[in-house]
Amino acid sequence: MSKRQSPQDLLPLTPPVFHILLALAEGERHGYGIMQDVARQTGDQLQLGPGTLYGCLKRMLAARLVEESGERPDPALDDERRRYYRMTDLGRQAARAEAQRLAAAVNAARSRRLFSKPGVAGGKA
Amino acid sequence: MMPQSSGMRWLCRVYGALLYAYPREFRLEYGAAMQQVFRDRCRDAQRTEGLFGLLRFALHTAADWVSTTVRESPVPRAAVEHVRAVWSAGRRQAPRSFVSEWVVTILLYLFAATTLVQAYVVPTGSMEGTVRVGDHMLVDRMTYAKAGPWARHVLPYRDLQRGDIVCFLYPEDVRQTYVKRVIGLPGDHIRLVNKQVIRNGRRLIEPYTQHVDPSLDAFRDNFPDGPEYQASLRGLDMLRHHVVNGEVVVPPDMFFAMGDNRDNSSDSRFWGFVPRSYVVGKPVVIYWSFDAPTSDLEGWSIDHVLDVTLHFFTKTRWDRMLLVPRAQKAQEVAVTP
Repeated sequence: MSKRQSPQDLLPLTPPVFHILLALAEGERHGYGIMQDVARQTGDQLQLGPGTLYGCLKRMLAARLVEESGERPDPALDDERRRYYRMTDLGRQAARAEAQRLAAAVNAARSRRLFSKPGVAGGKA
Repeated sequence: MMPQSSGMRWLCRVYGALLYAYPREFRLEYGAAMQQVFRDRCRDAQRTEGLFGLLRFALHTAADWVSTTVRESPVPRAAVEHVRAVWSAGRRQAPRSFVSEWVVTILLYLFAATTLVQAYVVPTGSMEGTVRVGDHMLVDRMTYAKAGPWARHVLPYRDLQRGDIVCFLYPEDVRQTYVKRVIGLPGDHIRLVNKQVIRNGRRLIEPYTQHVDPSLDAFRDNFPDGPEYQASLRGLDMLRHHVVNGEVVVPPDMFFAMGDNRDNSSDSRFWGFVPRSYVVGKPVVIYWSFDAPTSDLEGWSIDHVLDVTLHFFTKTRWDRMLLVPRAQKAQEVAVTP
């Protein structure tokens, strides 16, 4: 029970937590939906195993970044009931803060010429 | 429901079993959902990438399982921390590493000392010639132990054989451990004629014995003839109930043991058979032999400690170091009529 927790206290988020929040930013999803979405977001770079996924969800529930939004079947998959998760306001703020932090880092990298548009990097001297 | 291949069903079942490695609360809360996700992913992997995709996901999940069981469970996590603490003990002195080292030492000691090997010192000369006074030896407690139905195929269990050297609890006083040689097994007929053992009608030629007394003792050397007064109550019981035609007959689950120093050995002749269940083990190696009198070796004395410190190098019998007391079979010859 962490009361009045500020999103800044949670930074930096670990990559799995950040990507789970990104997956939930579009709306509520069940576990496998999150897994698929994270793989899609990252071009299969980050594949969450079931243990990582639910370990993160457990900690995110405890930190109130996400909450459960009931159980129901996913018509696209089959008729089994699945547990759905949705992002809380705190989760949204934390994801936004993390995105800003990463954007600042990317800007810093760009200003030091570590980060260029594709095709430019190795082309010109 | 979509059709599932048998390989996939098998994988799902294995994963269901692996979930038991997670802490109970975590498994109860998320186990079902994790299985569901696992199955969903298997199904997609197989559909899009075939068997190869299925296997790749299975390997990926195995790695995920290893890392997350450690992360979720308090016990392996503590173990990891512990290993880290021990590793870094050289760099920063943590009181924890001191405690943990002792815990490991004590656990190993308790385990090794009570189940596998035990150290003994030989204080008396009844096996002189083979095992000397002052020999410190390790006794293998496993070989002669009662074999379980499964372990008998894995571990080198063996039953007693004639000629084996064994350590056993002295039947007259189980606080003492004796080391002797097995002469008779259940059913064997034993007698001595002029210091020579006749077993089942055949004379034994025993290269391992020594005789230090040229005179003949009626009981000791012509057992079980002669006056019985040398035998203890247990010995008398043997002489009353287990002598047939002038020979002792070893009853079931017992054995007849004698020392190699035949003329100066307190053994089955005097106090009867040894129950098979009293066997402690088999001497495997003499790790140190120190020339000291019996009285010094039976208890603990400051004189002995001084003796060892002052004369460690001169009184240690270096030639006996790492000697293995061997079982030896006696040659049997027909008794000339």
